[in-house]
Amino acid sequence: MKRGLFVALLLCAVAGFAQDAELPFDERGKFIYYEVVAQKDVPAAMLMERATKFFSSSKELKLKTVPQDTLWMARGKVVINKTAFVLSRPSGEVGYHLYLDFKEGKYRFWLTDFSFISYQRDRYGNFVPETTVGIPLENKPGKLNAGEWTAYSKATAREARLFAARFKKGMSEQAINPPTAKAVPSVDTKNQKW
Amino acid sequence: MKLKSIFTAASLSVASFSYAQEAAPLQISGSVDTYYKYDFAKVPNIGTSFANDQNSISLGMIDLALKKTTGKASFVGELSFGPRGQYGSLLNGDGTDGNSFHIQNLYASYAFTDKFTMTAGYMGTFIGYEVIAPTGNFNYSTSYLFTNGPFQNAGIKGAYAFSNKVSLMVGLFNDWNVYKDLNGVSHIGAQLTVSPVEGWTAYLNVLSGKSAGAVGTGTVLDLTTSYQVTEKVKLGLNAADYSVTNDGGGYSGAALYVQNAFTSAFSLGLRGEYFNWKGVAEESDEHVAAVTLSGNVKAGGLTFIPEVRFDNGSSSDMFKKKNLNPSKNASQFALAVVYAF
Repeated sequence: MKRGLFVALLLCAVAGFAQDAELPFDERGKFIYYEVVAQKDVPAAMLMERATKFFSSSKELKLKTVPQDTLWMARGKVVINKTAFVLSRPSGEVGYHLYLDFKEGKYRFWLTDFSFISYQRDRYGNFVPETTVGIPLENKPGKLNAGEWTAYSKATAREARLFAARFKKGMSEQAINPPTAKAVPSVDTKNQKW
Repeated sequence: MKLKSIFTAASLSVASFSYAQEAAPLQISGSVDTYYKYDFAKVPNIGTSFANDQNSISLGMIDLALKKTTGKASFVGELSFGPRGQYGSLLNGDGTDGNSFHIQNLYASYAFTDKFTMTAGYMGTFIGYEVIAPTGNFNYSTSYLFTNGPFQNAGIKGAYAFSNKVSLMVGLFNDWNVYKDLNGVSHIGAQLTVSPVEGWTAYLNVLSGKSAGAVGTGTVLDLTTSYQVTEKVKLGLNAADYSVTNDGGGYSGAALYVQNAFTSAFSLGLRGEYFNWKGVAEESDEHVAAVTLSGNVKAGGLTFIPEVRFDNGSSSDMFKKKNLNPSKNASQFALAVVYAF
């Protein structure tokens, strides 16, 4: 019993570590999140339709290519927050490119070209981008800022995984035909004998 | 038993993590700064804001800002403690005793739509390039344009974004730098923001009104712009003219900012400024030219700012020499440490 619990704890720890790992590199030496998703018996046209619906409901993504192409490209950004308990503040934003490729019964997508723009507080106490030109996340900033940069890189990996989960949900059949909402249970107090 | 404790601790950690994920975040941020300044005439000479103490390791301020957004409504409260706040950039509560409110920003906003927002309260001024918090400036010592312009404007304003490239703010404001206006809400202000190309933003500002006790109506026209030329090079420009009717004086000037990031941890920035005080009534104008070279060495939230500055005035008694005789020139070295969190 104890051994089983110990193994479970160990697995939790390993899973936690995997969640906090940086993204792998692609053949260009750029960070990448890459996934192929099978959607058996779903035609490519239907997958594109679902993707279009996902993009139209997603404010943080801007489609840059014509949806008639089979390879789509979109630009997105995500804000990286420093969080401690209920307190939080944005440290910066990471811009990225999202690529989508469709085939009959499957699709693949990848996020890459991550670039970081640091935030600074403006005169009104709001956090705003310090510059308009992002620094590629693969660039090593040197010893002085290495710790912070690794944290940004890991936070980006975390956000990429969250985005992937959201995107796959959006591309699933369930997103197109959402289950009917369960009726909220209510109690009739007037027509009851008691 | 030990295993049970471990599980309890693990469950609690997971629970608190989930709570942190779900709770609406309250933003807390701020900065602390301290500096050493040495004037080469061995007397405090250059009279711009903040870095004033001679041959002393002196305090700037601790600055604390809170921000919370709930739906379309948000507030910002920013407090500062220390000479840079209480003595350098804030008035006391009623202007007569030493009871400071410590408030740099205290306002609430409501975004009626994605394009239109109303804000009311006490806010950092929309005029000028430099700001009070040391984290918002590249150079540690400030320009004459900053020192002579407004620091805060209390009022109510509406901002409308026509597009991603053009927006307009119009507002009614109190006198400059006061928590309450003794002669009514007396100023009108506007800011046109234009971003013609990516990396370039320009603000055209106007603020006009008659302050309590002033001889005339004061109007400041201000252009503030910056352009991120490349990943490493940034240019900035601030030009302003302030005139008070009935020969009430004013100022005009321009400051150019050139910055280059040699690495992500080290940047150099040069500020060149020409500033003119308009004479009141029959008085003649006075002007000064200043050049400031600053480095920014960053390590995480910490920034070291070594800086040298040379000022040259129009009159022979604008500054002092070592022997306290008048001088046209002044020069100083400063080393500041700023931590942002």
